[in-house]
Amino acid sequence: MERPSVARMYDYYLGGSHNFAADREAARAVLAAVPDAPLMAQANRAFLRRAVQFLIDAGVRQFLDIGSGIPTVGNVHEIAQGAAPDSRVVYVDVDPIAVAHSREILADNDRATVIREDLRRPERILTHPQVTELLDFSRPVAVLIVAVLHFVPDSDRPAEILRTLRTALAPGSHLVLSQVSDDTDDASPQQHEAERVYQLTDNRLVVRTRAGLTALFDGFDLLEPGVVWVPQWHPECTESAGDAERAAFRGGVGRLSD
Amino acid sequence: MADHTASRYGTALAVGVPSGPTTFAHRWARAVTGTSYIPMSRAELTEFLGRLTERLAAALVAEPFDVRPGARVGADLVVAHVCAPEGLGRSVEVVQLRLLRDLAMETADAETRLARLVGAMATGFAHALRDRTLDEQEQMRRAALSARDQAERGLRESEARFRHQAGHDPLTGLPNRTSFHERLTDVIRDPGTGTERIGVCFLDLDRFKVVNDSLGHRVGDQLLVSVARRLRHALGGHLVARLGGDKFGILVERTGSTDDVVEVAEAAIATVGRPALVDGQELTVSASAGIVEVPVVDAASGELMRAADSTVHWAKLAGGARWSLFDPERNRLELARHALSAALPGALDREEFFLDYQPLTSLRDGTVLGVEALVRWRHPELGLLGPDSFIGLAEETGLIVRLGAWVLAEACRQAREWPEPAPFVSVNLAVRQLHTPDLVHQVRDLLERTGLPPHRLQLEITESTMMTTAEEPARALRTLADLGVRIAIDDFGTGYCNLAYLRDLPVTELKVAGSFVTGLRSPVDGRADRTNERILTSLVALAHDLDLTVTAEGVETADQAERLREIGCDAGQGWHFGRPGPPERLLARLP
Repeated sequence: MERPSVARMYDYYLGGSHNFAADREAARAVLAAVPDAPLMAQANRAFLRRAVQFLIDAGVRQFLDIGSGIPTVGNVHEIAQGAAPDSRVVYVDVDPIAVAHSREILADNDRATVIREDLRRPERILTHPQVTELLDFSRPVAVLIVAVLHFVPDSDRPAEILRTLRTALAPGSHLVLSQVSDDTDDASPQQHEAERVYQLTDNRLVVRTRAGLTALFDGFDLLEPGVVWVPQWHPECTESAGDAERAAFRGGVGRLSD
Repeated sequence: MADHTASRYGTALAVGVPSGPTTFAHRWARAVTGTSYIPMSRAELTEFLGRLTERLAAALVAEPFDVRPGARVGADLVVAHVCAPEGLGRSVEVVQLRLLRDLAMETADAETRLARLVGAMATGFAHALRDRTLDEQEQMRRAALSARDQAERGLRESEARFRHQAGHDPLTGLPNRTSFHERLTDVIRDPGTGTERIGVCFLDLDRFKVVNDSLGHRVGDQLLVSVARRLRHALGGHLVARLGGDKFGILVERTGSTDDVVEVAEAAIATVGRPALVDGQELTVSASAGIVEVPVVDAASGELMRAADSTVHWAKLAGGARWSLFDPERNRLELARHALSAALPGALDREEFFLDYQPLTSLRDGTVLGVEALVRWRHPELGLLGPDSFIGLAEETGLIVRLGAWVLAEACRQAREWPEPAPFVSVNLAVRQLHTPDLVHQVRDLLERTGLPPHRLQLEITESTMMTTAEEPARALRTLADLGVRIAIDDFGTGYCNLAYLRDLPVTELKVAGSFVTGLRSPVDGRADRTNERILTSLVALAHDLDLTVTAEGVETADQAERLREIGCDAGQGWHFGRPGPPERLLARLP
């Protein structure tokens, strides 16, 4: 518990109290360098909410949320099952405390579950008995990899991870991606400081460009408006999409064609 | 959250300013957006705050005035996750500054009421936030504990798995040798109450290699799995382990007597012996068992396992499909033999061997015709050892070829030193020596090097050697005989022999086995002695017909010597004529 966890730091940015002193200390260090961090987290969380709502509207009823973190306010099963009670949700996270907490929250929910696994081992996720029990991969599944991929360096071959996941999916399935993004060559001092703090959490921060993030949708039809700053993705009102690059996260949704 | 719409304000809203609360709600939503993550769209948030606005407005004009709706509004903000301190600050600010104006409710007591309502809202917010924070902290502590439990359980399980893997044979799932040894050690160190004796039974499949070689390792492996399953089933109460290869171990932790382990061994042999269907074919194997059963106070695990190992070997030597019981005396002898056998090559290098000679004396005139070279081992710890103690071992290990060559060379070298007219020297030749391809070359070279005349060397071969003699050794003997070397048949008359070889081989002498001579010890008074004498007589006659001389071995008395002379024997060897001794003693007897 002495080491900060990215999942609990994220909860802190969202205004939650599902965190420990070490998390808050690390989060405050990030805040000192990047005062917009809570705004970024909230924008990303709002993107997740809109994306899930979008998928529900598109008829998707199965969700695989990889890197789900602390199932804090506005989690996928609340949104999805709130809109369509028959929705099934599997959370995947590598943080044992996040998983234990999720398990407690989902104890009475027989359409949602959580497993402890690493995004970098997609074949283990896909064959996990709890996953195969709850999700029917012959029908569309939405894979959500939201605010996680910036912890996966290129040396872990994120494109291959996504290909493995894609090949397991039925036509009509979706991929939701978002991560910290920047198109400038030089990282800002703030970014350096944030990276330094995240080193403490076991997770290196890997910033990707718009093009780099778009390339990860390989094999999917990237839906409108493509990879954009998350507030710009299907905004609910013009006001909320303003000043979008301050959100620092870019995201998009792809669909596996029939 | 129940709405309090049944108020005067509600009526006013219906008739008066429809845009007032909506305008305020928009303002409020803008103020709190971004203070924390609020899981609603802006429209939903505005709608939600609109409802709170209406409740505050209703409270402002309610009679009697009550602050509690304000506290509930504060709590509901937290429930909706407008829960950051900034969320409260901005809410207080916007309500304080804009609510009355936007709703056009600026009456005299409204400000006082508003101040009290805002105070209650802040209180309600703080209460709710504190509860929410504490709840969430408690959840996280529980999650952390549960994660730690999970991790510890995982660790224990992986430890258990690791221990299982380290202690078990992956093919059969049985405990392995390490486990067996550990368990045995544990039982010996800490025997259960009433445990006085302990038993170990090792089980080896007979001719398992044949199964592997003829049907393949896959079938062999399946057979082992089947055997393991049957053993576990039949001997459920006892620890059954796979010790490696086709060897299994059974630990009988508490025995009354040896019979208890024998019973287990018989059950094991019986169950293994039942036909098994392996890979579609019926296979039958038998097993040999070695049993050791000892008082637990005397037991040592390593020793028990070694003893069981040797004992299985005895069961195999006895033909397999049976059990053997450990015999400490036999084990001691085997160990001693093994030690001796291992020491032989070094002894040869260190020149611990030497030769004694025993005279072959003419029965006609008492002259020493020849001497037999007998090898001795001056063992640094065991003292003087005769050939009976080590020649057999040397034959088993193949060292007999080197040792025999040394004896031959040494005998030739020494015999050459003896003053003429010297006796011939008779040297035993082992089967293996006879089969070495360069025997002829070796002997010829030796004779040349030492200068010993060929007729002064006699090679003794046993009758049984002749039975196995193939074409090549026979040719070698003939070549040697042609050189002038004497060839004697040792221990004649003890084997079951085809006399035809006497016709085909260049033999010069028969050495009649001592057992015939022993029968001559007493005066002729029994049928057996008479028969003995008749055999000897005809043997001598046969030999003489074939131009062979006859030497009788094991002559111990003058009486025997006299009889042998009468029968026509040419020479005698034995204690009567002189015990084996160093060449010096022999030379002293020569004329």
